[in-house]
Amino acid sequence: MDKDIADFALEYAESKKVEYAEVRAHSEENEQLVMKNGILDAYASMVDSGFCVRVLAKGGLGFASTNKWTKEEAKAIVDMACKYASMAKRKDKIKFAEEKSVKKSWKVEEKKKIQNVPAETRIETLTALDKELTSQGINVPSRILQLGMNLAEKYFVNTEGSVISSYVPRIAAFNFITVVENGKPEQAYRQFGYAGGWEALDQWKMNQQMIKEAKVLQRVIKEAKAVNPGKMDLICGPEVAGIAAHESCGHPMEADRILGREMSQAGRSFIYPGSHFWLKTKIGSPAVTIVDDPTIKNSYGYYEYDDEGIKAKRRYLYKKGIINEFLHNRETAAKMKTRSNGSSRAINYDREAIVRMANTFVEPGNMTEEELLEDVKTGVYMRSFTEWNIDDKRFNQRYVGREAYWIEKGQIQHPVARPVIETTTQIFWTAVDAVSKKVEYDAATCGKGDPAQGVPVYTGGPSIRLRGVYVK
Amino acid sequence: MSETLAKTEQIVKKAKKLGADEVIAKTTFGRYRQTRFSNNQIDISVAWNNYVTDVALTWKKRFVATQIQNFQNVDQSVKRLYQLAKVSKENPQWGGVAKGKFRYQKSKADKAVENIRNPAEYVFEAIEAAQKEAGQKDVNTGGILFSKLEDVYLASSEGPAGKDQRSAVELSIRAFSDREASGHGVECSSTLKGFDPTMAGRKAGQIAKQAKRPKAGIEGRYDIIFDPLFTGSLLGMWGFMVSAYSVMLQMSVFVNKLGQKVASDQVTLRDVPASYSMANRVFDDEGVPARENVVIRKGILETYLHNTSTAKIFKTETTGNAGLVTPGAWNLELDAGNMTKEEMLSEVKRGLYLTNTWYTRFQNYATGDFSTIPRDGIFLIENGEIKQSWKDIRLSDNALKMLNNIRGISKERQHIHWWSEADPPSLSPYVLMKDVQITRPK
Repeated sequence: MDKDIADFALEYAESKKVEYAEVRAHSEENEQLVMKNGILDAYASMVDSGFCVRVLAKGGLGFASTNKWTKEEAKAIVDMACKYASMAKRKDKIKFAEEKSVKKSWKVEEKKKIQNVPAETRIETLTALDKELTSQGINVPSRILQLGMNLAEKYFVNTEGSVISSYVPRIAAFNFITVVENGKPEQAYRQFGYAGGWEALDQWKMNQQMIKEAKVLQRVIKEAKAVNPGKMDLICGPEVAGIAAHESCGHPMEADRILGREMSQAGRSFIYPGSHFWLKTKIGSPAVTIVDDPTIKNSYGYYEYDDEGIKAKRRYLYKKGIINEFLHNRETAAKMKTRSNGSSRAINYDREAIVRMANTFVEPGNMTEEELLEDVKTGVYMRSFTEWNIDDKRFNQRYVGREAYWIEKGQIQHPVARPVIETTTQIFWTAVDAVSKKVEYDAATCGKGDPAQGVPVYTGGPSIRLRGVYVK
Repeated sequence: MSETLAKTEQIVKKAKKLGADEVIAKTTFGRYRQTRFSNNQIDISVAWNNYVTDVALTWKKRFVATQIQNFQNVDQSVKRLYQLAKVSKENPQWGGVAKGKFRYQKSKADKAVENIRNPAEYVFEAIEAAQKEAGQKDVNTGGILFSKLEDVYLASSEGPAGKDQRSAVELSIRAFSDREASGHGVECSSTLKGFDPTMAGRKAGQIAKQAKRPKAGIEGRYDIIFDPLFTGSLLGMWGFMVSAYSVMLQMSVFVNKLGQKVASDQVTLRDVPASYSMANRVFDDEGVPARENVVIRKGILETYLHNTSTAKIFKTETTGNAGLVTPGAWNLELDAGNMTKEEMLSEVKRGLYLTNTWYTRFQNYATGDFSTIPRDGIFLIENGEIKQSWKDIRLSDNALKMLNNIRGISKERQHIHWWSEADPPSLSPYVLMKDVQITRPK
């Protein structure tokens, strides 16, 4: 990364008398290992380095990027961004919420430096995982294991005087397995993610997780029974609570979506000006508080300053069942006459930063899992999910259980085959009457934007109990 | 020979000199432009330039890859990659890359897409067309205008070498006639010649107008007419599953089904990297000439899509669909049928016309159980006529069963692509399908 070129680009943009300009430079080292059915298919190692300029001029936004580090190229992309900004000819001019400038350098520490881990060790990690999984006496004919490392150095400067440097190492893993028993296949995938060093591998215990998953799938094939459709209690484990928090709280609370900026791709929100649902209105029971927090140390979605240079902080999205705070960048904050809460993220230098989640989860309550269970006469305990989706208003959603059990008189009984909850955001969160103490997180890649930008996030929560919902 | 191709070949030579067995280098100079709009105004216009060489090499069946930016640090990058190969692990299934010299068709790319003089004009033409078609000025629209021009130079130690130019332009627009009523239209091409943004705008506006005052849908099994935009998503789903890589991972309903009936007799599905397509190309990532492949002919599965290495595993020939690791479809075409959309409508006693979908997710790729969420116009058909606009439903069915339940295909087809939901690009008709499961939230 050549910071002088980035500074030059900013100076050149300032000379064009624009209302605002920023330059964001990334230099990223990436590694990706792909092991298919025990065979190392590919080992890719690359460096990606470039910078972008975003300009606000005449009330319009222009953006241009390049991976060519020359002054000529810097001038060319600034000129392009300025031309594009002027082209917008908007009736309502874009403004950014006022923010203080920041001079800061921050980084995430690695207890075990990723760069010090030899390639052989990285390969051996996947080989050992595959061997251990396939030596359990379970038929797992299809397996894909991936391991990825991303060491991201960023440099951000803007015309308001902000200068922010950062370094975030991230490590991620993914597995997708197919278990076959009596000719019937069941499938599961799992993602792991961490901001920090190679110590992530010690914490994840991927071998135990994968073996457990394979055993669960085997048992589902052998023993699971269909559920009799009807209204019943449903306990959702942390993985299911987490995906519901992400899909039906985090996404509809993105202010750019609320204002319509994503209308033709990821869609709009059931929350909008003039809607029944707005700030300070009820969306769930008082047991439901959902937060988005980029500041959880070593989380997959961790950052200290967002990609507009705004300090990250915990955001209370739904608070005790009430719609409380949207996710904002500077543009949406100005439109809603508030301040940015540091939610602007870009996946690389060649992408515009847009409003994103970081780590979205249900806040813990005060019950144990046993206490959640003991009060259920009949119902389903959905520990994990397979198929899921939600409409583009973020209201009509569906989660299909992967590991799920029948509950009777407070006791867990046999596995249940792919139970389905298909309901609305309001019904789901209003039905929650109790929340357990222990929060667990899952790594995920959140998709949004055009071109698509998959950003690292955590989803999570404790177990939550829903009363009288329709399960089929 | 161009200077860029010479530099690309130099990378191959350097890696060979170090001791690599096979080396492929592909340099792409990409110029990408996009204008995003919502609420009938332009939100941002974006230009991104990318200069990158993808380098892959093998040494004793160890496959490694890297990227070199703008021909910087070539010696260091190649040496590092070769060292990585030396400590990597053998892939005993590795079947090599294509060998020999090939002749390629001349690219028909349109250089004009690189610098569309005033992209805003295209956007506003589409918006005005949507508003006019919907018959109301307050129709709210959003979407993108995207264009790309790529110069691609490929060199392989095994013989292939060539240059390609790939161009694409897409206008995607969604129009809302009220909060719950919308329509979506796309106009996709490889060239600006004949590119008409108003086509997309008119379609979006027309569906948005018809979709007003939607009622909550009702669960059940229905005969469905899929609009080409929805068909494009379905083709993408089936296209993913005919990749040999998906088959090896059981992420496919087509495992062990070569030569078997997998679809209704009316279905002939091809992969065609044609010059009209946004995914136009003259060679694949090994330098094999990209070509037409019939994947399903009259309901029978004829082939998976292969690169050289997967083809060897399946004891067949490459289909020219490399990805060096993962072969994939370029541009899917469902052969035209003999029906008009109106004739399809007249066939339906009680069914639905679905215009678009998103968020397709699987319970199990091997069995094909999945659901997807129809969006934009959802219309109830009774006795051959559109009777009502619906909302809030989900299509919850099976990928293989649906292929077999196709009962009609239209003569009319449209080149389709939008976002990641209808990808790769396709040539998609209207499709009439029997007995599809629709669910809704409770």
